[in-house]
Amino acid sequence: MGLFNRSAAGQTTPPMSVTLERGAMTFFAETIGETNPIHFDIAAARAAGHPDIMATATYAVVVGTMAGKALLRRGDPDQLALIGADTRYLLHGTESYAYHGAMFAGDTVTVETEVAGFADAKGGKLEIATLIQRITHPDRGLLVEARRDLIHRLDQGAA
Amino acid sequence: MSITPHTATIGDTLPPLTFGPISRTALALYAGASGDHNPIHIDTDFARKAGMDDVFAHGMLSMAQLGRLVTDWAGQENVTSLSTRFSAITPVGATLTCTGEVTETLTHDGAPHLRLRLSVTLADGTQTLKGDALVRIPQGD
Repeated sequence: MGLFNRSAAGQTTPPMSVTLERGAMTFFAETIGETNPIHFDIAAARAAGHPDIMATATYAVVVGTMAGKALLRRGDPDQLALIGADTRYLLHGTESYAYHGAMFAGDTVTVETEVAGFADAKGGKLEIATLIQRITHPDRGLLVEARRDLIHRLDQGAA
Repeated sequence: MSITPHTATIGDTLPPLTFGPISRTALALYAGASGDHNPIHIDTDFARKAGMDDVFAHGMLSMAQLGRLVTDWAGQENVTSLSTRFSAITPVGATLTCTGEVTETLTHDGAPHLRLRLSVTLADGTQTLKGDALVRIPQGD
């Protein structure tokens, strides 16, 4: 038997607004070792023709997590709560981004996460939840569509 | 002379990127910077209770390195997609080697693109991430 809440298939988290903050984006860029200054230096970003520092390639996952925390704070489930994820047994299977537009510091974007479905793998030793997360800007439209598979390992003493 | 998206042909490889060794401090900082506070990456007691030998690195910290590999080469504005599959856990102390190879030229949404095959490996040869990216070849400059 799996651990995910499979009745969540087809459900979508409520839309949540997130404002991208320059300091947080700079901290993230430094932590991953980013060396391109358009991601942490406003002067370099503006010299390159950008309105502010640009989000790095994987910052979409951070924006998604921020939206999730905001949902939890107001009493709504985030993507992990929606699917019933148990962090003791949770692994990240896949992560994919389709980029439609850049995200910049100062942007306020809207995040929605859809539970695309569930699957079993490895003879029942693994179960997989597939999530699709869309980050949209009120004027510039869809910026990033993220797709991720989260996995429960069910052979390590899981109840 | 290093290759660019303009000059690249199938079989060409991107300048490789290394990252690490990944310390426990790096995992704590990544947890804070990313908002991913899953204790399996930062709390050894929790990891052991969950049946692991130790904490292990966030897969997304490795994917961030593939992002750097591709965007340093092609520019973020030219990256159409970036995908990875996490195939093995990255232990504390690991040093990552990130590589990319041009595998295809194609047209995507009416624009010329390159497909890159991406990989992250540990010093012992274990492949921890396998990935794929589509990079738009800039036109007219």
